[in-house]
Amino acid sequence: MPPPTLAQKDKKLFADLLTQYENKQLSKGRKTADQILKKYPDHGETMCMKGLILVHLGLRDEGINLVKEGMRKDLSSHICWHVWALIQKSERKYEDALKSYVQALKFDKDNFNILRDTAVLQTQTRQFEGLVETRHNLLRLRPFNRHHWVGLAVAYQLNGNLAEAKQILEYLEGFLRNVGSYDVEFSELLMYHIRILEDMGNFQLALDMLDSNDRDKGGSILDRTTGTEMKVRLLAKLKESHVDDEKKAAWTEQADVTWRWLLSQNADCYEYYKGLLANEGIDLANVTDENRERALGILRTFFNVKPATAPRRLALDVTTGQDFIELIKPYLTNALSKGIPSLFADLKPLYRDLTKRQVIEDTVEELRTTYASSSPPAGNSVEPTTYLWTLYLLAQHHSFLGRHKQALEILDIAIAHTPTLPELYMVRARVLKRAGDPYGAAKAMDTARLLDGQDRFVNTKTGKYLLRAGMPDKADAIFSLFTKKDTTAAADLEEMQALHYLVEQGDSYRQAGKLNLALKKYYVIQKVFDSFREDQYEFHQYSVRKTILNVYTEMLKWEDNVRSHPSFIHAAVATVQIWVALYDDSTLGPSLQPSDAASETSKKALNKAKKAAHKGQPEADGANSKKGESTRRSVTFALSSLRSRLLSAVTATQSEDRGLEPPRRRDEDPEGLKLVLDKDPLECADKYLAGLTELVPRSLDVCFATYDVAVRRKKYLQAVKMLIRARLLDPEHPDLHVRIAHLRNTVSSLPEPLPAPIGPVLAESITSLLPEQVSLELFNSQYLQKHSSSPMAVLAHAKVAQISKAPQEEVETILFTVLKQPVELDHKAAFSVLSYLKDMKSSRAEEFRIACNDRFELSTLFKSAEEIATLQRWVAEQEESQGDDRESPETDV
Amino acid sequence: MNIRAVRVEDLAGMQACNLHNLPENYTMKYYLYHALSWPSLSYVAEDHNGRIVGYILAKMEEVEEQDGQPATDHVPHGHVTSISVMRSYRRLGLAKKLMLQSQEAMSSIYRAAFVSLHVRKSNRAALSLYRDTLGFTVKNIEEKYYADGEDAYAMQLSFPQ
Repeated sequence: MPPPTLAQKDKKLFADLLTQYENKQLSKGRKTADQILKKYPDHGETMCMKGLILVHLGLRDEGINLVKEGMRKDLSSHICWHVWALIQKSERKYEDALKSYVQALKFDKDNFNILRDTAVLQTQTRQFEGLVETRHNLLRLRPFNRHHWVGLAVAYQLNGNLAEAKQILEYLEGFLRNVGSYDVEFSELLMYHIRILEDMGNFQLALDMLDSNDRDKGGSILDRTTGTEMKVRLLAKLKESHVDDEKKAAWTEQADVTWRWLLSQNADCYEYYKGLLANEGIDLANVTDENRERALGILRTFFNVKPATAPRRLALDVTTGQDFIELIKPYLTNALSKGIPSLFADLKPLYRDLTKRQVIEDTVEELRTTYASSSPPAGNSVEPTTYLWTLYLLAQHHSFLGRHKQALEILDIAIAHTPTLPELYMVRARVLKRAGDPYGAAKAMDTARLLDGQDRFVNTKTGKYLLRAGMPDKADAIFSLFTKKDTTAAADLEEMQALHYLVEQGDSYRQAGKLNLALKKYYVIQKVFDSFREDQYEFHQYSVRKTILNVYTEMLKWEDNVRSHPSFIHAAVATVQIWVALYDDSTLGPSLQPSDAASETSKKALNKAKKAAHKGQPEADGANSKKGESTRRSVTFALSSLRSRLLSAVTATQSEDRGLEPPRRRDEDPEGLKLVLDKDPLECADKYLAGLTELVPRSLDVCFATYDVAVRRKKYLQAVKMLIRARLLDPEHPDLHVRIAHLRNTVSSLPEPLPAPIGPVLAESITSLLPEQVSLELFNSQYLQKHSSSPMAVLAHAKVAQISKAPQEEVETILFTVLKQPVELDHKAAFSVLSYLKDMKSSRAEEFRIACNDRFELSTLFKSAEEIATLQRWVAEQEESQGDDRESPETDV
Repeated sequence: MNIRAVRVEDLAGMQACNLHNLPENYTMKYYLYHALSWPSLSYVAEDHNGRIVGYILAKMEEVEEQDGQPATDHVPHGHVTSISVMRSYRRLGLAKKLMLQSQEAMSSIYRAAFVSLHVRKSNRAALSLYRDTLGFTVKNIEEKYYADGEDAYAMQLSFPQ
């Protein structure tokens, strides 16, 4: 049945309805819609408009139902499709919304608003071919607006049609020449054009264009630094692409001048030195004996540029032997007398060269002796703090080399010398952490914090150390000293996307076996990255309008790769591992549920969390704390946002308008208790992994996580592919060894061989990892022989023995060999072995724990549960006197 | 430490650095807004591993509206939204270096007449850096500027024309 046709005066009414919606006269619009529907109850377009208005009025479900009903009445209306697209867009279903927009365009191909929104969605979903077409149409409709020219150029560039992009820009610049001599946006547009020339390989053309627009010659490129960086990069590329060219000498000379100009602007930029030396044929990262002298010579000419530190530091990389000795001493004395806390971090990369490491150690020890003696060298009085910073440096040096005891002794001297310097306790914390004493470390960091309560950095570190010591409540109490007062620390840090916190908190819960809470935190990390992906949305329009495009296209690339961030990978892998654990042991989920006795407290916690979730409503733009700053910002930026424009121009938001976006739903499962009872944990894991395939080639952990899920889902080909991938990254990794054995064992114990073509392909792939004639036992013993000193290899060996059904005692015996020669056991590996013994419910776990406790005398990781509880109480105690209570009560450390 | 103009891929590190150092924090979108609007005004300091240990996040102050119209008396000027250096990287003069790079860009690219910033009344170290080392002066006190109720000094530094 065709949709009813409105009479002339009702058409006018419908036009009013559209205007009322656009002007956000929602109640009025609703009445108008009702008026039409009274006469034409089946008028689809009116139903959709009314539905849209209802959504704005906060009646989301009712509104959406009405929109759907209206759609069914009139599938050939662009208005219906447009309304539906707006709803989908508000739910961030961009692919779906885009399809609806495309439908809408079928019935109204020149609708400007629909085309504009389509372009944004095509950019967001990276459908660049369609984008080119849409931008073409927009330009056709509004050829006198420069933004549409820019938009088309960008679309061409994104779609890889650089020549077309260039052509559009040339045309555009032709009629923009008269915009006025001082226009930052035009300057940016020119640099974008040059960048396209560079990407096309037209280096000379790009260089000429830079030159003819040089500001110093009256040109329009206003950003000298960026322009000059482009210039020198182009010169380098020209040199590279022309092997024998007489111009090369001229380019080299020009580049030299250019690099030096850049260094005159910023003598602390490492890239500039790298470029300057590269221009001379010297690779700063790989200086050879042949060019060492020359490299040092060039760097030396910058030694007296104040206040640059880069040239002197780079000289330490470059030099060896006597030159190094001569340079390192003044470098050290200067930094020590200034009390530069980052000195060790600054020097550490030099330690790759063992000779340099020794020279540094000798020099610092020598300085220590000099500074310690009561009579300083004649005429050269040394501040007492210099001595202190020398001790500080030495402690870090020894700790880094695993000499924790020595480091602690030095720190004791330093703290006795000056008990009020927080840095000393911070290093002490670090040393204890490295030595495997998370409790002592947390206590030391807290001592530092108490000495400087105004500093958020040491506060953050304390919270982190408390999390590592398994004390999340105390950690939150510390964090909350610097978070928003009207909400919990956790809610504020979540809202502010504090990845470092979320990772540590998730790990801490996981370590404590609270898998439900750990999962919740890891999912928050996923949400943070979702919102990072979301953030680009408004810039598709904004950046084109501002014509600031080089950074915009960089942003698009960053968005495409944002999930390669270590925090994301960490959370992803941990999440999958937890789902796999929940799958492997179906009693685990139920075991995490609170018992009746505990349910009262859990209810309280639930209420508290609910309250917090309620309070934690974010501002539109999420800038926290600075009053004037954040509110004003969210207003102006929202004004520039497309999303707030909806169908037409921006109008003042009235109070009855709740917006189009779905309200943030209250978290009904704040502790993840329902989450861990999910009937299909493997499916949950697989869903998570589906978005991660692009990370597989780079991350061993993602390969393993994917394997673990695939093999359980009986997707053997995918499983073997992951192991082949992993082998390319690290062929000897212990976790790979275990999985190869696991796969062979799993496939060979299938009740029936897999049918062709999967069966033979799989068999062949497995053979490529582990030849058929090699037995699991042989494979396993060969691996151990190859890595006999590695404790993690021994652990892998034991795991494979277990896979080949070795008796428990035999597996235990293997694990105990980590305590003997030639295995180089550290506390971390020992802790892994202990955890494994506990997992297999070994009766010898306690024996192993005690052996480790004796062996790692500084470590508290191997204390009994009671001892650890005592240690945690000690950490939590408020100290009577600051900075003095460093002895642990229950241990003999 | 290496001092250079910000790149988009630095923003997560910048955000982490800010969260470690200061109580005024922002979501990623606000960092993106700065970088995509004024790409040459923000700078970072990074350590040998490429970790961001200090940053300046800056912008040009937009034209204020008066009665719905852009103000006619607007003088272009820069504003430092946030600047901080990790505690373990202090005393290297990083804040000053970052500030000078940003100021130079404000003045040269945007013809800024001055740069403004806010500082907590209680933050004596920062106050001394801005006033004594960098030459800022206190223009006025903005009462209860910060979310926790603390007052801010509004400071400015004029650029030589």
